Amino acid sequence: MEKGILRSRWGGLPVAAVVVLLFGAAALGLEELLDKPVEDRSDLIVIDSMATLGTLERPPVPFLHDKHTEALEKRGKDCAACHLRDEKRQSPKFMRLKDADYESVMNVYHDNCIVCHREISDAGEKSGPVTCGDCHTKTIPVATGRQPMGFDLSLHYRHSKAQDKKCETCHHEYDEATKKLVYVKEQEGTCRYCHKAQTEENRISMRLASHLSCIECHQKTMAKNKIAGPVHCGGCHDLSEQQKIERVNPVPRMERKQPDVIFVKSSNPEINEKDRRINRVPFDHKRHETYSSTCRVCHHAAMSACAACHTQSGKKEGKGVKLAEAMHQIGTETSCMGCHQLQQRRHSSCAGCHVSIPANRQRSEAECLTCHMPPLTEEAQTAAAGQSGTDPFAAELLASRTPVTDTYGDEDVPEKVIINVLVDQYEPVELPHRKIVRTLVKNIRESKLAAYYHREEGTLCQGCHHNSPVSKKPPQCASCHGKPFDEKQPERPGLKAAYHQQCMTCHEAMGIEKPAAVDCVGCHKERKK
Amino acid sequence: MSITRRKFLGWIGAAGAGTLVGKRAGAAANRHFTGHPDSMGVLYDNTLCIGCRRCEAGCNAVNNLPAPNRPFDDLAVMDTPRRTTAYEYMVMNRYDSDSAPAGPFFRRIGCNHCLEPACASSCFVSAYTKAETGAVTYDPSVCVGCRYCMIACPFEIPAYEYDKALDPSISKCHMCHHRIVEGLLPGCVEACPVEALTFGKREALIRIARKRIQTRPDRYVDHIYGEHEMGGSNWLYLSAVPFREMGMREDLGVVSAPQLTHGALSAVPIVVGLWPVLLTGVYAMSRRKDKIAETEKADAVKEALDRASAEAETRLADALAKAESEKQKAIEKAVKSALEEAAEKAGTDSAETTSEEES
Repeated sequence: MEKGILRSRWGGLPVAAVVVLLFGAAALGLEELLDKPVEDRSDLIVIDSMATLGTLERPPVPFLHDKHTEALEKRGKDCAACHLRDEKRQSPKFMRLKDADYESVMNVYHDNCIVCHREISDAGEKSGPVTCGDCHTKTIPVATGRQPMGFDLSLHYRHSKAQDKKCETCHHEYDEATKKLVYVKEQEGTCRYCHKAQTEENRISMRLASHLSCIECHQKTMAKNKIAGPVHCGGCHDLSEQQKIERVNPVPRMERKQPDVIFVKSSNPEINEKDRRINRVPFDHKRHETYSSTCRVCHHAAMSACAACHTQSGKKEGKGVKLAEAMHQIGTETSCMGCHQLQQRRHSSCAGCHVSIPANRQRSEAECLTCHMPPLTEEAQTAAAGQSGTDPFAAELLASRTPVTDTYGDEDVPEKVIINVLVDQYEPVELPHRKIVRTLVKNIRESKLAAYYHREEGTLCQGCHHNSPVSKKPPQCASCHGKPFDEKQPERPGLKAAYHQQCMTCHEAMGIEKPAAVDCVGCHKERKK
Repeated sequence: MSITRRKFLGWIGAAGAGTLVGKRAGAAANRHFTGHPDSMGVLYDNTLCIGCRRCEAGCNAVNNLPAPNRPFDDLAVMDTPRRTTAYEYMVMNRYDSDSAPAGPFFRRIGCNHCLEPACASSCFVSAYTKAETGAVTYDPSVCVGCRYCMIACPFEIPAYEYDKALDPSISKCHMCHHRIVEGLLPGCVEACPVEALTFGKREALIRIARKRIQTRPDRYVDHIYGEHEMGGSNWLYLSAVPFREMGMREDLGVVSAPQLTHGALSAVPIVVGLWPVLLTGVYAMSRRKDKIAETEKADAVKEALDRASAEAETRLADALAKAESEKQKAIEKAVKSALEEAAEKAGTDSAETTSEEES
């Protein structure tokens, strides 16, 4: 009996060994060959080109492009090993110029992939799969590591310089009459205006356009032994590779005859100055060019004036977004006020106060007038008339608006404020009031945007002394905040919470780590017994 | 008196209708209880909470609970998730979040004071009361320690004094009911330095919560937890991150536990009330059936007997007649043979007797 058990125990060994060999060997698959997970790679392509030609019989194939380029380079092969050429350029498709039909495309893959994998494994080297299920895996990894790529002003400048400012190398537009691509000087726009996410009628997708044109040019440049852009997936789409791209700072201004300072165009530019319902906004286009890394942040659909699509009452081309909305919409970078408001949240020195101020609050008239400036007087107009620039009136008006931050003098700003609400538990708190005010003034002065909007003496004070009219002597906190949970004022915190919320929210938003919100004695000294 | 099927079914119908128009039990009723009017509640807003654990300390103090193993200002306690215990009516847990908005976020765990509490509906000695203040209170004097409430509570709040050998009881947050009736704030609310806990009428709290979401849609998840969960609760929650990310159940639905169980439980009075009637009826009917069968049987027997006796009589009469005739025949035969014998004898004897006779 005992012998029997023993035999069965040892008998299991070969089976186990086979299992380990089989599955162990299978585990030495793709993941083992890679330095990071498939999903984190930027070169993952899912081959499903046959999906448009018929119903797929098996799952699409995940394919690591850079892995293959690397392997072929080792064997002295280049792109031509997989990509055919016609007279013009290299085909982005694998071993074919066009998709004929389902069957033939399938055969192209099966014949070429399997043959190559076999050859390499016959030579005794590590190779790709040759059986159906190893390529057509049930789970298709999703490439999260692939970063979107696009030009910024710096990269554009480098390309323009390398091409000797021959804009037509890349920029073109479609001429309906001749049905050809033509170049129109100073009408250049970003590629994405025409090349959308999907191929449409006579225009290829952005993805295809960029891969055809960029890689083709990079390859040609490389062939001339010049410094060239990437030709591998990771070169453009890997985050760490992207960070290595050389940046020009400051970027010289782009030359496309764009305006310097202008009045923001309304949809009815012919209207008489007197008949305007609201003052025009002088806009420093030149300076705003430096605030964003690309033109398409503002010019999101066309390189034209906003009013071309966004009319007073909205039209189809502007998706019904009215001019006023296009300028004032909150929560988007594309509108003036939206972008300004996002700056308030992004910069910690602004966020301290602005985090507590609702983004969609009602604005004061003074705030409106900061942008919608009262027009120049007639004398000023005649004086400005002769000056150069896109719009001398706008430039003159804007020049009259200086970034001034003002607040009350020291005599009106108490140095310290003693808060003794919790004296039963702690020593009174000494709030360094003047120090806070002066720091905020300094911060505001450092930002041109902030400086424009804190022109009045009391504006700055409103960060803490909120909900009461601007005043040199604002009401005390306790004038409004008292006992908590007042049914008549349900949104108004009690005095203790008002202090804590105000101080802590601001400190957190400004990144002031000490004293921590939970460190009571950081602000409240222990009560002396 | 005999019961006909029609009569019986009529009674059953009347009795059933009777249970429908009858008085309802307060809890486990077949209607939606929207809470006591003007009941109080607490709104916890985790965008304001700083995670200082003052609320826990406040709770501990006003409820005279034993001092914790680690002091309340030891915030490292929150490194591990906790739940309520017999001596911690409420706990704060910290959840670190890598995704935006940046954490950490805090969550208060304690009794939510449901509008229709599952614990109360599960308690067969009615130790739980949904008070008019909104608090769900517990009376240890009637508790038998079955701990059904601990199983019933979808939020796993009631805790048990497992460490007590004698007379252990359930413990849970009672929303400082005793303080509310005195006009004081619950211990946790009073202790919060930033009003992350807002005390007020439930209806008002819902309005406040809505206003906060409306004013700062970028800051809040557009949901008030507790407004409808499990039929609604007097504790309400606002959060910057989805509630499930802090382990708050989002699968509970909007129907209260008593409403879910009322269908089965409301059958109890019908069963208890109508079962005897039903059984009596069934018994009576089967009795009647037996009786009829018995009568029929008796009749059949009688008939059979009659028929048998009649047959027997005829057979007897025939037999008697036959016997009579046979007897007659036998007599005749006997007489005949006797006569023949006598005649024969007389032949021989006649000489003798003749002589004798003659003599």
